[in-house]
Order: sequence, then structure tokens, then C-alpha cells
Amino acid sequence: MVDQTRREFLKLGLAAAASAVTASAIEIPLFGNQNSSMQTQLNNANTQLANLKNRVNTVVGFVSLSVTEQSLLEKIVETIIPTDSDPGAKEAGVIFFIDRALAGDYGQSANMFMDGPHILPRIAASNSTPLVVNPTLSWATNPNIPGASTSPISYTGGSISTPGVGAGITASPRVGSGINYQYPLNFREFWRVGLVALQAYANSAYGGNFETLSSTNQLQLLKDLWANTPTSFSNILPSDFAYELVFMTWAGFLMDPIYGGNQNMVGWTYTGFNGVNFGNFYGEGQDQKTLMVATTPTRLKPASLAQYQQQASGSGGA
Amino acid sequence: MPTTITEPAADVVILGVGYMSGVIAAELSIASLNNNKNYKVVAITKGPYWDYVNDFSTTKYDEWGVGLGRKYDSPLPLQSTTIRNTPYQFALPVRRYTMPIQYHALGHGVGGAAQHYGGTMGRQGPWGYQMLLQTNTRYPGTIDTINPHNDLEDWPLQYYQYEPYYVQWENAHGLCGNYNGSIDNPGSDASGYPWMSQNYKLPPHPLTSAAQLFQSTVSSAPFNYHPFPHVNALASQPYVNSYGVPVNPCVYDGYCGGPCDYACETGAKANAAYRTIPAAMKSGNFTLVVNSFIFRLDTDPTSGLVTAARYYDPQGNVHIQPGTVFFNGMWGYNMIRIMLLSGVGAPYVWNSDPTLVSGTVGRGLTNGYSPFKGTNVSGTLSNIGGNAYPAGNAGGGSVDIYDLMDDNFDHTGLGFIGGSQIGVGGYPGGGPGNITFAGGVSSASMGPQFKPSQKDKYLQTKTIVSATPFAPDLPTKDNYVDLDPHYADIYGDPLARLTYDWTQNMYIGATYLANKVKDIFTKMGASNVTVSSTVSPGAAHNDWWGHHLRGGCRIGTAPASSVWDKWNQCWSPTVKTPFNIFGAGEITNTSGDTVPSGTHVAGPQSYRAAEGIKQYLGLMTPGLVP
Repeated sequence: MVDQTRREFLKLGLAAAASAVTASAIEIPLFGNQNSSMQTQLNNANTQLANLKNRVNTVVGFVSLSVTEQSLLEKIVETIIPTDSDPGAKEAGVIFFIDRALAGDYGQSANMFMDGPHILPRIAASNSTPLVVNPTLSWATNPNIPGASTSPISYTGGSISTPGVGAGITASPRVGSGINYQYPLNFREFWRVGLVALQAYANSAYGGNFETLSSTNQLQLLKDLWANTPTSFSNILPSDFAYELVFMTWAGFLMDPIYGGNQNMVGWTYTGFNGVNFGNFYGEGQDQKTLMVATTPTRLKPASLAQYQQQASGSGGA
Repeated sequence: MPTTITEPAADVVILGVGYMSGVIAAELSIASLNNNKNYKVVAITKGPYWDYVNDFSTTKYDEWGVGLGRKYDSPLPLQSTTIRNTPYQFALPVRRYTMPIQYHALGHGVGGAAQHYGGTMGRQGPWGYQMLLQTNTRYPGTIDTINPHNDLEDWPLQYYQYEPYYVQWENAHGLCGNYNGSIDNPGSDASGYPWMSQNYKLPPHPLTSAAQLFQSTVSSAPFNYHPFPHVNALASQPYVNSYGVPVNPCVYDGYCGGPCDYACETGAKANAAYRTIPAAMKSGNFTLVVNSFIFRLDTDPTSGLVTAARYYDPQGNVHIQPGTVFFNGMWGYNMIRIMLLSGVGAPYVWNSDPTLVSGTVGRGLTNGYSPFKGTNVSGTLSNIGGNAYPAGNAGGGSVDIYDLMDDNFDHTGLGFIGGSQIGVGGYPGGGPGNITFAGGVSSASMGPQFKPSQKDKYLQTKTIVSATPFAPDLPTKDNYVDLDPHYADIYGDPLARLTYDWTQNMYIGATYLANKVKDIFTKMGASNVTVSSTVSPGAAHNDWWGHHLRGGCRIGTAPASSVWDKWNQCWSPTVKTPFNIFGAGEITNTSGDTVPSGTHVAGPQSYRAAEGIKQYLGLMTPGLVP
């Protein structure tokens, strides 16, 4: 028993060491009070152990973000969802959600169409300067396509009534539609260059690393990205990167804890979301058929997907 | 080393296995059995067969994986789509599923897009089948002003002729609703709701308080409208369908999707995998080929008839599936793409002079239910609160009116035709990110000011009622589908390219309708009822990969302007030979104003097409409607 406890303490120490790198991890004072009796120390240690187990059951540590990315992104997500009297991105472990996502399908752009050509933003076309693009061979040689040939195709842009006038790629901004992302980078690389560009902009426009800026300037800098104020941003549109930062931060706050964020379901508690508690997960005696037509709200303690699966498989949970 | 494999010939070859193909599979398998023929029916689909209960019961409650990651939907690396607003532009490919994505995802696997749809169902009324004739009769000389470069095409049959097929469709899929009109009056109904020869088989889901308030408000003066419970295909009670397939009822546990997000783990939400495919399987005549990507139809150079479908299996082997008759039940633009790639039918060729356009495959693209950025109206019901976390299902709890749609009010001098189905009071159905991300994140979604707006967002002490009504998108000569010259699918074939922008009729109708809805919300007692500023035509453009497409592969009255005839049979390439390919789906014409209605109009067509195929094979003659 004593040995087991010591092993847990060792893990605990490792977690504390990791927290020196990331301010999001809980700092755990080990035997900090030298004047306590052994019994008090043991009690404190047991409480810490329980907290740590809870923590380890979620996610700490990084599998993708570099050391410099960790400290920078940490401050960015805390700017987007600050901690006030309620938990924010920090307590939700948003940075771990993003780290896991960047290491997985999201970062690899595994479910994206990534083939070229990649026509980057801000490329316009007109009658005088058309956009000229070669066709694919499969299109050019399909005998069933009228007008198909191997010749390059010119695009002048414009509307039905006024061809050749206005933007040539599309007639409208495509923010959020999935069409805006036209980079030849997977998302892991996109975040890498985006974070470097953001830090460079922090230094050139605000005189220091993002982490060192006042919270007012940190928020303003992110607004600058949305407004595409930075003129040199590693060939990406700053607002495209800002979209990802804000989207992924809120996702880390609100998605199921199974993905590493929303730790201890703080995001769901904050928004009053129920997770997979359908009214009786903790024996509340409510049912969805009543709740869905109710005219006053009922707060349900949220339950996670993992809890739900444990309960469904009969191995405890709630 | 991939090889080429020729499969034994089949009598009926079905391309794609979604809603419509399920009907063809069941009807032809059973008809063959009943006629003592041992006809072989083969259906090929690109995705897997989900065992819905087993696959989804513990993993579906996952917004990141299902709602946002779309892990049960069509993988984009396999194939995507390109989109632009005008023919002078370069079309960019859709590269990812992202938020707001509600209208983006294609289905993948048996059941198709119906595995994640909202379950809304109903009927398209008589006006929707004859928009051009009705407009020219009642408002003569106006259509070309209302819809520049107009390309409306009326359906070959009228509503009353499709009515028996609606009954077949509804009884197979177990629809919930309550038709409160008279079944003795086949002409019309005062509500504008299309006449029905029989009521829906299942009762509607319980109404919310907001829906009941809407119902009592609009049925009184000054409106005197005709509200009825929202019609949907999420079983409200246990049901045994017309093929003897048992259906589980809805358990109201949310994660159904206010938008079309989540699969159903009980089978209450109708789709082919739960309703028609089981009947086909039971017949013993039916073969289901999954994880196989159809890339060509082979044709006979002399007769033009389709001789075989070619598909890739997961190992990259090419399979040749010969057949007697083919049914094109592929989703949306894939229905068009396979015909364009294979030279079946005449490809649409755009011209800046609308009198010089030609061809039909790809022609007449419209958007039935787009995220149109028109005029919004919203208000606050401060005395009705509730739970906004997932509860109920995607399609229940609300009340609709048809009074402000189709030609159910006088349009003289209004400058638009049609209108909107207005509904209020549906259950919440989405996930936690759904509310935050609805409409997408922006620079406003950050910092100490925004965060508190999300606090207790799922515990509502008041109800926001909101609507963005618009008049229907009308087909023009300038919105169409063709093959993209620059981007290809994983096998190297050109992607479908959408050339599409919103049409004038939508905008002009939007402002008129929003003010009508404003009157309703105000009368309901809502406070702060506001109509957003009017958006004028051409001021905003379609910037979504909409997957509620209509048109592009149309059923119609003439081979010069449509692909399918009154039997959903492809117009013959030669006068003497009846063509051996049939098709039915959401994109086979406009779809009136019923929301979202693509499936409503496609369902009856699939039964009509089934009769056409039975006649082609000599299994029956004549059909319900000659």
C-alpha cells in the first residue's frame, strides 16, 4: 500500500514537473508544509492523489505542440475564453484538445480534399489579367465532355451581366463554408506557420511576444487577425488562421472530454449542457419526453460519453 | 495487382443505395417473386452497411466525431465538389467539412444521406408541380421579369396523379402527422395543404408550448391561417410498415440534429436501411454490393442503351456489372456526374445568350433549402422558457402553416412567386457546439464580453423565435452542373462543378414574407420583434456547398429540356428504342415551397419509377397512372 502510494507520488511529481512548462496543468505542492504532522501530510497527499487521478483520467501532456507553441497557444486560448469567476479555456484544458487534434485526423487533414491546384486567397482576375489554369488530362481526354481539350483555360471573373469585372475566383468571401481553406498545407503545418506568423506580428506591431502583452492588447491582436490587418503573414490570410483559433478553442471547451478538452465537463456545466444525461443518469427521475416540452429549464448534471458507455456496459460509471 | 472482373448479368442494376434505390430494390425484388420470375436485382453503393443499432448506440452522442467530424458521412478525399457563382469564375473545391456545415454532408453507406437527415417529410402541393403553367395563367407575362433567363420546367404529371404514389411512400416509411382536411374533397383544401386520400399512419410528436401558442395565434383573426403539426418520418409509435418490416419508435434522446447531423440508433428515423432494404433482402432475389465506387456506365454504340455499370472495389479491382435495366439512384450531383462521365443523355452546355443553351444533363440547378442570407425576423417570447440541450428529435414538436407558400395568396404585383412554409416550436436537437457555432465563429466570438453570452445557454428562461423565410429559388439558364476541368476524384475522374448563385425571386419574396412573419410573432406576444435590413438581389452571393440541391437532372415534358419522362425513364437517344435507364431523386426538378421537400417529391417518384421498370421488364402493365 505504501509502495503503491509512493508510485502514485512519483507520477504526481512528473505531472508537477510538466506543469512548469504549461501553466494549464495543476500545480501540486508536494509536502510543502514541513511543519505538518505526518498524518496531516498523508491526508493532504491523499486528497492530492484523488485530484491527480481525476486529472490523469482526463488528459495532460503534449503529443504534438512544441515547447514554444505550448506557451504561445496557451495564452491565445485563454484570451479567447478567459477565466473569470467561472472556468475558462485554461480549466477546460483546451490546449490539450487542440494538441490531440493536431496530432490526429484534424492535423493530418485526413478527411479533407487536398489535391491541387491550390489557388490562394486574394488572387483576382479580369479581362486584362485573366487567371489561366491547365486542365487535368482526365477531363481533357474524356470524349463525352463538350469542348474538352488540353488547352489552358482562362477565367476573367465577373457576373452574368458584366463579365471580366470584379474578383475572378469567386464573387464572395467564403468564410466558414469550407471553401475558404485553399492552402497546400495540412492543418498541422497550417498551425505551425500560423503561430510563427502571429508571434512575429506580436513583436512587430506590439513590441513583444504575445505572452508578454497586456490582456487588452492580446485580444486586440486577435481582432487584428480577423480584420486581416497584418500584411505579411506567411502567405496565409490572417482571418483564416483566426477562424481556426477561435473555432478550435470553443470546440475544446464544448466537445466531449473524451477528446481531451472540456475537462471535468466545465464547459458543459458553464453552458448548462447535459452531455448524455437524459434526465436520470444520476437517478434524478426526469425523462426527456417531459423535458423537451417543458417551459422552464431544468439543470441536469452533465454526463460524458465514457460515463454513458460504462453505464451501458454495466461496469459502473455514475 | 488490380484486375478486371465481370459479374454475372443482373436484370435490374441499382446505382447507389439511398432512399429511392431502397424502394426500387424492394418493389422489383418482390414483383419478380410474385411473378414467379427469378429476376436478379443488384444494388451497388460506395459506402458500408451500417448496423445502426450496433454501430451507433453508444458512439453517436459525439458532436466532435459525428456532428463536426462527419465520420459517418462521405469522405472528402474520395470525392469533393467545386463551386462558383458565375461561368466566368474559377470554381474552388470544397476542401473540408467545417462549421457551419449543416447543409454540407453527403451520406455514405446504405441509407445514404437519410442516415443523418432531420426527418422532415410531407407533400408537395399541386402548385409545385405546375409552377410555370400556374404563373402564366394567373399572372400572365410576368415570369421573365420575376426570373430573368427563366428555365422553369413543369412536371409531366399533376399532384393528383402522384397522390397514390405518395400513399405508397408514406405507408412504407411510417410518417407522423395529422391531416385535418377533408379526404372527400380531392380538388383543393382551404389550408393549401395538399389533399390526401388517407391520413398519416402515425400521430404527430407532442407539441411544444411555443408551437401551441403559434397554432392558436395563426388560427385566429386576423390571420385565420390553417396550422397543422409538422410532418416527419421519425416514428412516434411502434409501427409495422407496408412490407411487414417492424419499426422502433423514437426515444427522444436528442443528438438527432436540428440541422442534419446524427444517425439514429433505434431506427425510428426512416431510411432505406430500416424500411425497404430489409424487404428486398427477404425476397432472396436481391444482392447488395457495398464499399464499391461506381465510375462509369458502359453504353452500346449503336442503340445507345446502357449495357453495364463499372465500379472499383476497395482493392482497386474494376468490376463490370452487366444488366437489362438500370436505376440511377445516386445522390445529388453524383446522379448527374455519372451520366456526364459516361455520355448518357445530352450534357448541358451554357451560353451567355440564353437562347443558345443546349442539352439537359446538369441543367436547371436550384437550391431547395439553402442557408440563404435573406431577411431575418426574430422576437422574444419572455414567458416561455425551456431546455435547449438535446431532447426530443430533429423533426417534432413544431406547428407549420402552408398559407404563406405556393400560390395560396394573391401574388399580383408582388414581383415574386411562391413563398415559405413557416414553422415554429421544434425540439432542440443539436449538440453544445451547435448553438455557439451556428452561423460560424467570428471576431465577436472571443474575449471577456462574449463568454458570458454562452453561460447557461441551454437553460432558457425565454424563447427566441426566428425565421428567415424566402420565396423559392427558380431555375435559370445560368445555374447548372458540369464536370470540373481542374479537379479530380481519388480515381482521377473530374469532379462535379456547381455554377450557382441565388436568384432574384428568393430576395424579393424574403422581404415580403419576413414582414408577414413579423405580424405573427408580434401577435404571439413576442417582444423586440425586428426585421433585419433588406438584402437586395445580387448584394450577397451563395457561398455554401449546399446539399439541398434541386434540379440539374430534371423530369419534364420534353426531351429538349429534361432528362426523365413521365415514367422517370430517360428520354430515348433514338426514337425507336425505349431507354433502359430510370432515375428518381431530390434533384429531378424544382420542389415547390415545402421544407425541405426534396425527399417528399422524390419518394413518390421512386414508386412511379418502380412501375416504369416493372413495365419495361414485363412484370406489370399498365401502372396506377398511364
